[in-house]
Amino acid sequence: MTRPIPLFTLLILLAIPLSLLAGRVWLDPWSTPNAVVILAELRLPRAFLAVIVGAGLGAAGAAMQGYLRNPLADPGLFGIAPGAALGAVASFWFGYAASAWLLPVFALAGAGGATALLALIAGRSAGVALFTLAGMMIASLAGALMSLAISLAPNAFAMSEIVTWLMGALTDRGWAEVRLAAPLTVAGIVLLRFAGPGLDALTLGEPAARSLGVSPARLQWLLILGTGLTVGAGVAVAGIVGFVGLIVPHLVRPLTDRRPSSLIVPSALAGALLVLVADCVCRVLPLVTELRLGIALSLVGAPFFLWLLLRMRREAWL
Amino acid sequence: MVILPRMRRTVAAVSLLLIGGCASPLPPTGAAHPTIVSLNPCTDAILTEVADPAQLLAISHYSHDPRASSMPLAEARRFRATGGTVEEVLALDPDVVVASTFMPPAAAQAFARLGIRVETFGIVPDLAENAAQIRRLAALAGHSERGEALIGRIDAALASTRHDGAKIDALLWQGGGIVPGEGTLIAHLLAHTGFASHSEARGLGQASYLPLEQVLADPPQVVLAAGSERMLTHPVLRALEGMRYERLDPSLLYCGGPSVIRAVERLAEVRGEV
Amino acid sequence: MTLAARSLTVAKRLDGVTATLEPGRITAICGPNGAGKSTLLQCLAGLIPPESGEVLLGGAPLPHGRERARRIGYLPQTGEIAWDLSVAALASLGRLPHGDRGETQVADALAALDLTRLAARPISTLSGGERARALLARVLAGEPGWILADEPLAALDLAHQLALLARLRNVAEQGTGVVLVLHDLALAMNHAGRVLVLDQGRVTAEGTPEQALAASVIETVWKVRARWLGGPGSRALAAG
Repeated sequence: MTRPIPLFTLLILLAIPLSLLAGRVWLDPWSTPNAVVILAELRLPRAFLAVIVGAGLGAAGAAMQGYLRNPLADPGLFGIAPGAALGAVASFWFGYAASAWLLPVFALAGAGGATALLALIAGRSAGVALFTLAGMMIASLAGALMSLAISLAPNAFAMSEIVTWLMGALTDRGWAEVRLAAPLTVAGIVLLRFAGPGLDALTLGEPAARSLGVSPARLQWLLILGTGLTVGAGVAVAGIVGFVGLIVPHLVRPLTDRRPSSLIVPSALAGALLVLVADCVCRVLPLVTELRLGIALSLVGAPFFLWLLLRMRREAWL
Repeated sequence: MVILPRMRRTVAAVSLLLIGGCASPLPPTGAAHPTIVSLNPCTDAILTEVADPAQLLAISHYSHDPRASSMPLAEARRFRATGGTVEEVLALDPDVVVASTFMPPAAAQAFARLGIRVETFGIVPDLAENAAQIRRLAALAGHSERGEALIGRIDAALASTRHDGAKIDALLWQGGGIVPGEGTLIAHLLAHTGFASHSEARGLGQASYLPLEQVLADPPQVVLAAGSERMLTHPVLRALEGMRYERLDPSLLYCGGPSVIRAVERLAEVRGEV
Repeated sequence: MTLAARSLTVAKRLDGVTATLEPGRITAICGPNGAGKSTLLQCLAGLIPPESGEVLLGGAPLPHGRERARRIGYLPQTGEIAWDLSVAALASLGRLPHGDRGETQVADALAALDLTRLAARPISTLSGGERARALLARVLAGEPGWILADEPLAALDLAHQLALLARLRNVAEQGTGVVLVLHDLALAMNHAGRVLVLDQGRVTAEGTPEQALAASVIETVWKVRARWLGGPGSRALAAG
């Protein structure tokens, strides 16, 4: 059985330098103006950001699937991504252009709000079913408010700007976004890793997990905070990037012993690799402009989802 | 050894890169005719009129798309187009970037971070602002006289299409069933060419939705349909007695600038036939 | 160390249940539906806090969290396993309270249940009996002093039931306390060292199987007239 962590680490270390070659501009060190600036201020931070966002989403997906004991779970189910997106949309209304920090701060506030709401509704009972329903409720609420905000946009350009941002992209991001997202994502992944043993115990069901000494409330807090940080940071810098959390644990699971705790770090690494590669594809496709990352991943994710469902139908178990 | 010449070349390339990279990307230049990259179809249309072709390093990809362009396609194809990413702009190394106020936040921040000069232009609400934007762009390009010439052509077109007589009740209907508000350029052009805004008279604001049934129940004298969707092209609109149905190219509505000339000429044409 | 319940009361389910359980033998908890068997087991396992009364382990109140998890192994009725782990990975979950890989203990647990050659097999490929043994191996791997299992034989066929009971007896004889909620009275009669009969939340009978499951008790509690046939160790219940 290949060890996933060294494998994915190696692949990422190879992919980052290669990603520097990918872009709409063919860089010729002798003749292209500003080649070094493009590499150092645009492509390199973008590669790091792809790794960070992908890692956060991958880890969150693995943790969520472990917690909900459902291989079809996606980080969006907690309602945190829609909450963060709602915050970002609100910042468009307040004139995000006033400060470079306004949009990410609003997005993080939105993620924090969704997190707090989730903890408030589901926290006390600490049951998974109520938790799932609370997350879905928050997701629909945030989605509805976002649609409202978009429909109230003063003109078509403002509306299209918001909608475009929501589709998720890493275009033109720089080191400022890396500095924002990196510490939050790392903190989130650490919390999710701490949740590992609890998720392992949950494999046997809630009563057995409690009999193994797991505190359901503590586990839920770790999940909520870990997901809030990773997903919130991801949305704050890149918009809504879907499917990574759903796809990646499935790709990684056969390489591990299938215990939820064994999936978290490998999923982070695989998610990093996936987003990095997808972002390179977005940059390289000969369309009029860059393909949006969120769209690219959805185009890959939907057929994968279908394949997954068909495979689940064939086998009784996953 | 065989490797040595290659190594030397690599070292030279790397040093070139390092030295080249030490210079700041774009010194704000006091050049008379700065190089420009335009990221917005409206400014594209104006700049192709007022700037030298050699100055305008690139226009936006929208101008190469017949559905989104605000200028003649053949004219647009003479210039290269970018996808609007900062990377592409940097590789062209312009002195100034011209964009709409609705630039993606990441791009705006990237330009600011990299010290690139950006001039933003908003949506044109009336003819005065239209002229002001043309003057600003012409001054930017260092060809103020061409700006004045363009404004002169626009004023001439306006003069020749002015209609002082009775205003005909007209509905300008755009894609999605929405109508323009009173603070828009097209509303002024309608009034100028002898139309009274049907939607304004009924208190509908900018981007309000007007359904087909309401148009039939309370028909204007003229429907100006700017779009090709079903609601706007329904056969019943042509069949209605006492209401005239005319099509309007949607690209006349996106921007101010030179397309104002084509817009008023078309409106005057319609007015003349009614 | 002994596991004792003192006046346990849980609303609508247990009413002042007092019992002392000794390690080294299988104790069966029997009773009709709704008698409170599962509730009692969960209280003993520390999973349900009683409204009044207490549970004592070795004379001291039951500890919490991982400390308790190291002492008491609980096997719930529904043996759900969310992921298709290997048998060895499943068994190693029992080491979670100890926070170590415990490879020796896992191997010993697998060996005790004759699962060593199945260690790498995914549990989806196991038969019902093998799966039940794998779930028990998880509990054994934690080396608890007490094993509390809620109807562990329910879905097994006869041969597997007997095999599992034999292993549980082995484990009990080595000093572990084993408490089983059992529906099947004949199994309780033939394999348990002590039986606790619950009815409507109260202890109705307690003692050796012969005493606690006597025909009179069965008639009072289960409302069925029945008599025991066969000799010790191979009794069958004939109803009517």
